[in-house]
Amino acid sequence: MPAQRLDPVDVVVVGAGMGGAAFCARLAERAPRRRIVCLERGGWVDTAAMPAWRRDSQRATINEWASSPNMRLAARKGDRPLFSADYPIDDSGSPFKPLMWNGVGGSTINWAAHFPRLHPSDFKTQTLDGVGDDWPFDYFDIEPYYDLNDAAMGVSGLAGDPAYPPKPPRAMPPLALGRLGMTAARGFDALGWHWWPVDAAINAVAHDGRAGCNYCGPCQQGCVNRAKASVDVTYWPRAIAAGVELRPHSIAQQVVIEGGRATGVLYRDADGNEVTQRASTVVVAGNGIGTARLLLASGLASPALGRYLMFHPAAYARGMFKQELDGPVGPIGCALYSHEFYETDERRGFKRGVHLQVTRENIPLMQALRLEPAWGRDAHRLLREEFRHSIAVLVLAEDMPEAHNRVVLTDRPEADGLPGVKLDYTLSEHSRRSLDFGLDRAEEMLRAAGAHRILRLPLAPLTGWHLLGTARMGRDPATSVVDAGGRCHAVPNLLVADGSLFPTVGAVNPGSTIGALALKVAEDLAKDIA
Amino acid sequence: MIPEFLAAVIDTLLPGDDVLPSGTAAGVALAPGTHAPVLQAVRTEAGGMDAFAQAPEAARVAVLQAVERAHPETFRALLVAVLSDYYEAALVLAALGWRSDPPQPWGHALPIMDSPTSEHLERVRQRDRLWRGRC
Repeated sequence: MPAQRLDPVDVVVVGAGMGGAAFCARLAERAPRRRIVCLERGGWVDTAAMPAWRRDSQRATINEWASSPNMRLAARKGDRPLFSADYPIDDSGSPFKPLMWNGVGGSTINWAAHFPRLHPSDFKTQTLDGVGDDWPFDYFDIEPYYDLNDAAMGVSGLAGDPAYPPKPPRAMPPLALGRLGMTAARGFDALGWHWWPVDAAINAVAHDGRAGCNYCGPCQQGCVNRAKASVDVTYWPRAIAAGVELRPHSIAQQVVIEGGRATGVLYRDADGNEVTQRASTVVVAGNGIGTARLLLASGLASPALGRYLMFHPAAYARGMFKQELDGPVGPIGCALYSHEFYETDERRGFKRGVHLQVTRENIPLMQALRLEPAWGRDAHRLLREEFRHSIAVLVLAEDMPEAHNRVVLTDRPEADGLPGVKLDYTLSEHSRRSLDFGLDRAEEMLRAAGAHRILRLPLAPLTGWHLLGTARMGRDPATSVVDAGGRCHAVPNLLVADGSLFPTVGAVNPGSTIGALALKVAEDLAKDIA
Repeated sequence: MIPEFLAAVIDTLLPGDDVLPSGTAAGVALAPGTHAPVLQAVRTEAGGMDAFAQAPEAARVAVLQAVERAHPETFRALLVAVLSDYYEAALVLAALGWRSDPPQPWGHALPIMDSPTSEHLERVRQRDRLWRGRC
């Protein structure tokens, strides 16, 4: 049966996560007469279904509320639908396992909401350090959009950090550091190193109609009191009020490209019917894997498409302390960070730098599952030593854009109607050196803070949140997919508005930059169509 | 599978000590028919269910280590199931000094930055800029 063809709209957007939501809200406000439709493969998340209400909330983190779509799919029981509309990802060719959420809100549903900006140097790594590539604009061009995005999401934090250009006062004070944060701060201070409370897209106090955080812990299984900003509760109400039509349970199958122009999106609706939504402009925002998968499946001719996949290579150093700390409470990613080693110092033997982030303890089940040995008498001893007595420092390195790291389609058709998808990614020598350097510094800090024993996890596989670079911006169609406005070189009315755009990635979490970038892409488009 | 055998498997994985209860004392149980292939492997490695149940702890540990090496995926699945029950048991959480109520609606209290830490931060604030990218 031929697909139903719907009347054309001005803009159809694929994906209702950070990029798609910010884009829709901004475009609707800047081009109010334009008709905008957003197709989202998943649905809205019901806070009543979130595991924080339940006594068995721990096991949910490794089953239906795991961060990994592959783990969620494996945990699926019979015909019971998952909360996230996942597709399998062949990650056998990558040391980092992809993490995401597929539904209204995208991965902001289960993110940690650590909300740093990139540094100015991150936008010009080639000019400053001779590595990577420069972005087609700089920090100060995107700075107004960072400010807008901060205001939309609501940021707790503290202005005045010397690691960044001045930022406006944060909307709320920093989240509580807890004993863990203050212990780590003493370690950094003893060494004379930089540290600062994190910017978090989490309400430290009631703000913007949402409650303040009560430090319950499991942010990555959804926030039941909405203290954590996710775009289903920040941007989407705004976008819908401004006239955007959001269609959940609509799985994009193909961007229809005819004669060098995108003419719409073929999608499968909630009843399994094929529908074509025609549009003057098509925007894809399905994250670094989903966007590449859809555009590759659509036959977009662009040699860089799917290539230059970047994560933030991650490792941990975990220090054990005699004194009692906080335990598995509070936002997992949100205590404090150090950018003492963020900028290039060639004496280290590599260019660019590392982000050191003091994170909170995992729940006991997660701690137990990664112990070695994980069972027997030694496991009990190790768990007691660690539980409520440990500080983990996450080391994030700056991945370099390398064409061989990529997202590819497989020959296997998946249940969602699209081809299968696979990651081919190799950790570079540069990343390895950066991580080892960062781990050494993390150990130094932990010892200065009083740790009596330290464990290193040289590579943390389940940290693949940051899916970046696979439809990168640039001027050269041979090495980039889109221009500075997010328009595809090969199909100018086809745009990208998510983390796929990043030419380089810095060494910090990308959520803040994805939102700011999407706002900028929307603003640029609005100038053309308003 | 006889109950004594299943209990011995659980308590070899989770033997308990002076602080933590054993797996069975915490209420962990394996439903009949679950994890059959790996439990069968334990039975075979031990020379029977009774032999395993009645063996000293060191011998039981050796059997499970051998099965873990030979069948890592199914052994891991068994372990995850047992640990999931164990670390959600009220008795275990209490022994760890943690509450068994769900994270919500009560949440937790967390101390805010104290004065000495604020003074440390003030020293950081007074530093010259660390960022690069504009002269």
